[in-house]
Amino acid sequence: MNRPRVLVYATVTIILGVSLLSGPAIGLVDLTTPRYDMSGLGEGNATVDRVDAPSSVTLERAYQSESYYLTVPDARIHFSSLSGKPTVAYGIEISELGYSRSTTHFMTEGRTGWVTISLREDTFANDEVTKSGYDGRLTIVLRDSGGKTLVENKSVRIEVEE
Amino acid sequence: MSVEFSRSLDLGTLRQRIRSTGYLLGRILFGDRVGFAIFLSTLLFAGLTWRVGFFITDNYTLANALAALGEGHLTVEKPVYGDLETPGMQISDGRLYGRNYGQIALAVPLLWTLQAVTNLVDFGLLFASLWSLLVLALAIQIGVLTGRRWTAVAVGSTLALTIFGWNAMLAEPLAGTLVVMAALQLGTVLATALTGSTLYRLFSRMHDHRIALAAGSMAVFATPVGFWAAIPKRHVTVVAIISAVLYTFYRSREDEPADALISPLGFRALSYALVGVLTWIHAGEGFVVFLALLLVDVPTARRNDGRSILVVGTAFALSLGPFLITNWLISGDPLRPTRMLTQFGELTEDQTFGSGSGSGSSSSSVYELLPPTLGSIAAELSNRVSLLFGPFVQGARVSVTQPGDIYRTVVRAGYIAGVGDLDNSQALNLTLLESAPILGGSVGLLGTLALVVRHRLDETTQSIRDDFTQTFVTSTPAPERSTDALVALSAIFVFLVYIPRLPLHAQVTVRYLLPLYPLAVYGIFRLASIRRTVTERGRLALWSYLAGVLFGSQLIFVVVSLGTVGRGGALQLHAVAGLVVGTVFALATLASTFDDRFDPLTAVSGGLAAALGTNLVLLSGLVYFQYGPYVLPMMDWLADVLAAA
Repeated sequence: MNRPRVLVYATVTIILGVSLLSGPAIGLVDLTTPRYDMSGLGEGNATVDRVDAPSSVTLERAYQSESYYLTVPDARIHFSSLSGKPTVAYGIEISELGYSRSTTHFMTEGRTGWVTISLREDTFANDEVTKSGYDGRLTIVLRDSGGKTLVENKSVRIEVEE
Repeated sequence: MSVEFSRSLDLGTLRQRIRSTGYLLGRILFGDRVGFAIFLSTLLFAGLTWRVGFFITDNYTLANALAALGEGHLTVEKPVYGDLETPGMQISDGRLYGRNYGQIALAVPLLWTLQAVTNLVDFGLLFASLWSLLVLALAIQIGVLTGRRWTAVAVGSTLALTIFGWNAMLAEPLAGTLVVMAALQLGTVLATALTGSTLYRLFSRMHDHRIALAAGSMAVFATPVGFWAAIPKRHVTVVAIISAVLYTFYRSREDEPADALISPLGFRALSYALVGVLTWIHAGEGFVVFLALLLVDVPTARRNDGRSILVVGTAFALSLGPFLITNWLISGDPLRPTRMLTQFGELTEDQTFGSGSGSGSSSSSVYELLPPTLGSIAAELSNRVSLLFGPFVQGARVSVTQPGDIYRTVVRAGYIAGVGDLDNSQALNLTLLESAPILGGSVGLLGTLALVVRHRLDETTQSIRDDFTQTFVTSTPAPERSTDALVALSAIFVFLVYIPRLPLHAQVTVRYLLPLYPLAVYGIFRLASIRRTVTERGRLALWSYLAGVLFGSQLIFVVVSLGTVGRGGALQLHAVAGLVVGTVFALATLASTFDDRFDPLTAVSGGLAAALGTNLVLLSGLVYFQYGPYVLPMMDWLADVLAAA
């Protein structure tokens, strides 16, 4: 037996062996575990003591696209205590445009201190954006066993940049 | 008795037999070891961006139809995924059917295999194991090809095991219901890989292995063929079959090599049979390729005697069998495919059920003069004929009257009102050149044409006449010339048939014209100047390509994540970069035709143009479009990291 062949057989044996041993028929180990266990989501207890939300939001003309791109800077929230799996929804509302959107973040147990949360970008058609600025509202909603808590609710100016 | 017994136990003989069967199979499918290596690399490449998910609404139609067919029914009774009100779902006698049945039927064995294998191997880990085994297989091929077996195997094994371990650590369960979708995708991924190896085989017969390696791999790596690899629409499968038609057609013209498995006549029959299979997938595109093949094949064949016509005709008729039977089972009319030709391409997104029939009720007065049966047959015949040829006429008319549409399909699209509105107000649709800047090289054809004309003008009228007679009358043209003609005609026909509908939303890379990418790559690598560049400046081109992929993709990613460009803006960034590099490559190729001092520029710009094509596929797959779990857990992880950046 030559060296390359031995190595090839060994590699194939390991890969196939692990795949078969962890497979449904044998099931020695389960290698596929969900990265985030969705059970008990929105339950637990959390205390937010400080919030740092952006003061301005931009609606920028997208590159070569005849459309506008809404980017909301990240917000930060400070947890003094965190247990279970509460969720935090970071949202924006622009009533003049009839628009609202929020992004929900899942918190992991035991993680205290500052947590950065983002809000997904969105695109507006050219003809929707007619003014040079809009008034909007940023909200951060914490959901845990105690129900929903509005931890931030501030008005914000949305600047349109050509 | 005892002799028989000892023979069956003889492992050496058994291994020898397996090995020779393997070699034969490999030869039939991939040609040679390099072809196999291209096949493997393409599978690995497609695996990187493959997500088990639904990219476009009619994916549901095909997946639900495959789920039904896998259980043995043509009718789709219940949705396995989403609902049944998806574009492309057809209705006949109150029952629902899918479409592209050829593609679905070819995926049925894959579905059964996957269903069997997932009983043994965890579905969430299956593709990770396969991917690592493919890495090892590719390493072995590279080892044999370069003569450094030990190094290649050592590196390959280490990579395979490390990546497998990494994937196993990150693996998450995949829902069992997704097996059907994965089988459909596996079919298109295999088709992509076969496209690369088949074009390699074609060029290795026309030219040499180096040119062939470049042509075969560029067709799949540097064009949106890679983009659509794991998106289970018909496009990639159609592209694979067209590539195979080109190969078999060339073999039908070539002098029969001593070791050939099939005679030239066999290959000629095979090229028609492949068109028959194509018809089963998409009748309209099947007809387009059939017409091109017929128009080139008959005048350039060595002989059109009774035997040839009988063999070719029989093969074609048999290959149409599955298509005719499927139609007959669904609509009761063997000649009425699930989508009639007037519905060329997709139905628009708002049309759903029952819009697939294209028969008109306009029987003109001429037919009324005939006896009723004869009249209705004649009317139906005229209807069908106009259905078949109408798109070509319409395409020719649009090409003349609306040159702007051609410009916005081939060169620069940007944001088009009426198209962008339907893509969430984003400029998501790129043109041919924007999505594959390497297509700029096609401009070199003009240079070659100019050279030919100049050459002809220098000669006397007498020699022109001789030339003409030699090419078209007395002898059969060279196999290369005939294949060139087939490529050109297929490209023109595909273009004509679809141009009336373009530009259109939800195309991303002008997917209707997907066959044009490999056809254009064929044209580029047939240029003498490009072949000279690959032969003499191959290393420079290769390094430019690798640098363009490694650094270019990172550069684009940084610009996209730092600037607020949005998804539309990101694609437009690719478009503009592609146009610039594609134009430079076009000019360099043109200059190279006349003067080889431009070859280094052609090599560098060509490498970068190809790299931009690859970058679009990679970044679209990892950053811009997110729609489902990746088959490789490590890519899921990478996409998360990139999304957070």
